[in-house]
Amino acid sequence: MSAETSHQEPAARRVVVTGVGVVSPLGDSPRDLHAALTEGASGFRAVTLFDTDGLGARHAGEVADFAPESYLGRVNLRPVDRTARLVIVAAHLAFEESGWTRELREEHDVGLVLGTMFGSVHTISSFDRRALVAGPSYAKPFDFANSVINAAAGQTAIWHALRGINSTVAGGTTAGLQALAYAAEVIRTGRADAVLAGGADELCFESLYGFHQTGQLCSEGDGGAGHAVPFDARRDGMVLGEGAGLLMLEEAGSALERGAPILGEIRGHGNCYDCSRGTGESAVDAVERAVALALGDAGVSAGEIGAVSAAGNGSVLGDRHEALGLAAALGGRADLPVTAVKSMLGETLGASGAFGTIALLESLRSGVLPGIRGLEEPEEGLGLEGLSPRAREIETRLGLIDAVGLDGNVCALVIERIDSEELSAQLSGGA
Amino acid sequence: MPGSIGPRSIGRRRIVVTGIGAVTPVGAGREEVWENLLSGSSGFAPVESFDTSRYNVHAGAEIKEFDPAPYFSRLDPQTVGRATQLAIAAARQAVDDADLDLDSVEPERAGVVMGTTSGEPREVESFDDRYVAEELEQVGPEFITRYPCHVIAGCVASELQLAGVNAMIPAACAAGNYALAHAFDVLRAGRADVMLAGGADSFSRITYTGFARLGAIAPEVCQPFDRNRKGMIPGEGAAVLVLEPLERALERGRQPYAEVAGYGLSCDAHHMTAAHPEGAARAMQRALSDSSRQPEAVGYISAHGTGTATNDRLETRAVKRVFGDAAYKVPMSSIKSMIGHTMGAASAIEAAVCALAVATDRIPPTAHFEEPDPECDLDCVPNEAREQRVDMAMNNAYAFGGNNASVIFEKCRT
Repeated sequence: MSAETSHQEPAARRVVVTGVGVVSPLGDSPRDLHAALTEGASGFRAVTLFDTDGLGARHAGEVADFAPESYLGRVNLRPVDRTARLVIVAAHLAFEESGWTRELREEHDVGLVLGTMFGSVHTISSFDRRALVAGPSYAKPFDFANSVINAAAGQTAIWHALRGINSTVAGGTTAGLQALAYAAEVIRTGRADAVLAGGADELCFESLYGFHQTGQLCSEGDGGAGHAVPFDARRDGMVLGEGAGLLMLEEAGSALERGAPILGEIRGHGNCYDCSRGTGESAVDAVERAVALALGDAGVSAGEIGAVSAAGNGSVLGDRHEALGLAAALGGRADLPVTAVKSMLGETLGASGAFGTIALLESLRSGVLPGIRGLEEPEEGLGLEGLSPRAREIETRLGLIDAVGLDGNVCALVIERIDSEELSAQLSGGA
Repeated sequence: MPGSIGPRSIGRRRIVVTGIGAVTPVGAGREEVWENLLSGSSGFAPVESFDTSRYNVHAGAEIKEFDPAPYFSRLDPQTVGRATQLAIAAARQAVDDADLDLDSVEPERAGVVMGTTSGEPREVESFDDRYVAEELEQVGPEFITRYPCHVIAGCVASELQLAGVNAMIPAACAAGNYALAHAFDVLRAGRADVMLAGGADSFSRITYTGFARLGAIAPEVCQPFDRNRKGMIPGEGAAVLVLEPLERALERGRQPYAEVAGYGLSCDAHHMTAAHPEGAARAMQRALSDSSRQPEAVGYISAHGTGTATNDRLETRAVKRVFGDAAYKVPMSSIKSMIGHTMGAASAIEAAVCALAVATDRIPPTAHFEEPDPECDLDCVPNEAREQRVDMAMNNAYAFGGNNASVIFEKCRT
């Protein structure tokens, strides 16, 4: 099925991107983020959010000097934790770009689907520890309200007056991409016209320490983070990161009607599970299957995909499974340009799928795909030849993003670059 | 208002409930749970899983003597958290109850969607105990491999070898309904042939502390809609429903319990912990409109009915707003009067109740009811189960974050 034939189904609703909000270790706009990724900048730095003494991991992709007031004005941020602040600011930026003013949001239902791994494990743990130390009657009610995993989505809805479908999707590092797929589906099926979607996780002591104890983080030298280079032969683990990335998704016709900027289209998605929980060969099949499902859902062939934004984060086993799965799904396209933005942002958990999507959308629009920072020698036998340390020019409309969880979840998304003129021509039957 | 939303474009497959599994404070398995709920059993007892001596309340709805081992054949129950154990038990029961031969299902076309409030809170509580005791070095990899909530849906899939769509929806106290709604859409869109959907939460010190701090926990029993109600009682549990397309159920000779007619979600955007009648009403209206049904067709409402002063009053108001005069004719009970508030599992267990009410024309009571409240003047089915025709049942759930979800079940006409 091609893009054209999908129009023959009269009721098929298409999903477009009308704005992007991003708060990342490498900038707070999709343009700045893309520019930094294209330069091969590193978002890793010594952690300043909390004391890392005695911790093996001291570097991370921290959003340094994050100041919500600089976006939101002088407001009372006390009731919301860092995860929610990241989401509230990313939402603010996405609404600004897409033209969803507060007046419009008060008149129309806007939904929010947020992917997150932890919500805020820091808030949850702090609440519990205070009760343990000082006694249960000293626990803070504010913290309890924020201890639910859907707190950031609920707080953002209150902050920005979002009365549409509000849902939180977990899934570890696939949560952000799963949230985009979920949101696209509720628009496609007519349950909503406008849904903000993406993901977020904050950097905190509890998650950094927890991941350190799993042995999944890369080694650290004196000079900084070690070899967290996706798909590189010498990779030895990941660096943790944080941030929030959100895309304003809308039904194509209504977006065009209100004169919204049209940045791209969500064409299809696939989601499946590896029952070995990321430990066995079936992990490769799961990646292949998710990609094939996404391509089928989008009605495009592997040959039409011109760029890939991969989930690779430096994990020894995970990167291998992903590469082999991608190579199998995209068969015969070994030279396909593949980027892995976690080489620069770190593993931002719930945000990572959104960051991967935002980076690829900006690449499709600008014609430049970032490279993989630090890549010296790709592991042999991965089946992907389009891995490069440097940014490359690409000439394609269609891109693929995949997310591979640490324990079994896999998700893939197909996006297309499209502008309002093209969309308008297609919707009026001119394509 | 949902005015501009057009007709659904993909998937009008009819989706039915063919299997039910539940582990609750009043028993385990469909038959036992259903009979105990109809007879007004009570699952309340002093909390045993942690020391409540520093609290001014002590009642809980814990599951006593739960042995996960019989439900596990692949994973080791000792390597997963308690919510995951409860979820796997409910999932295994549901598959057996549906008489579903998993070998006959393509693993890639079978998936899992689960909801939760806290995931595996005991894992973070154990982290906190070690932090406070300055023994953090004793935290091993299990904190990250067991704690994040998505492991619940993942482990259910791994144990039952379901390699299709997998999602975890932590929509707090409405999470079970959110999970069912998502699984319903996945099936309608043809993305799977069978979905296991439900919710799970384990008894949690963090949750208990929070509700105690809010002054929301009742001293002994939960009395929804009663004039002298004193609050909710935290509980634990899991429920899983097997959902599949009607034609598939019929092909394998299975008479469904109920058909999922539709659902509605909304967000209050008002307050993190206090519900708002307008948002709750919108979720019900959307569910009715999604099901193409009028309020008069609803024969039973499973209330969120937590037993707090505010929830029950606001919920009553919301139902009246949607149902008008018909509100007084619809029985609306709360099984939280018997099993407490099982958090992310609550609306999944209540969904099972709705499916069984529709299947058997029986309605479980609101237990411990003593004195009517003029502000909660609907028919809460006080104390005695009722035999009454139920063509349609509506399952309402409201959560922290202002997340509202209503799901409608109806008799399956074949």
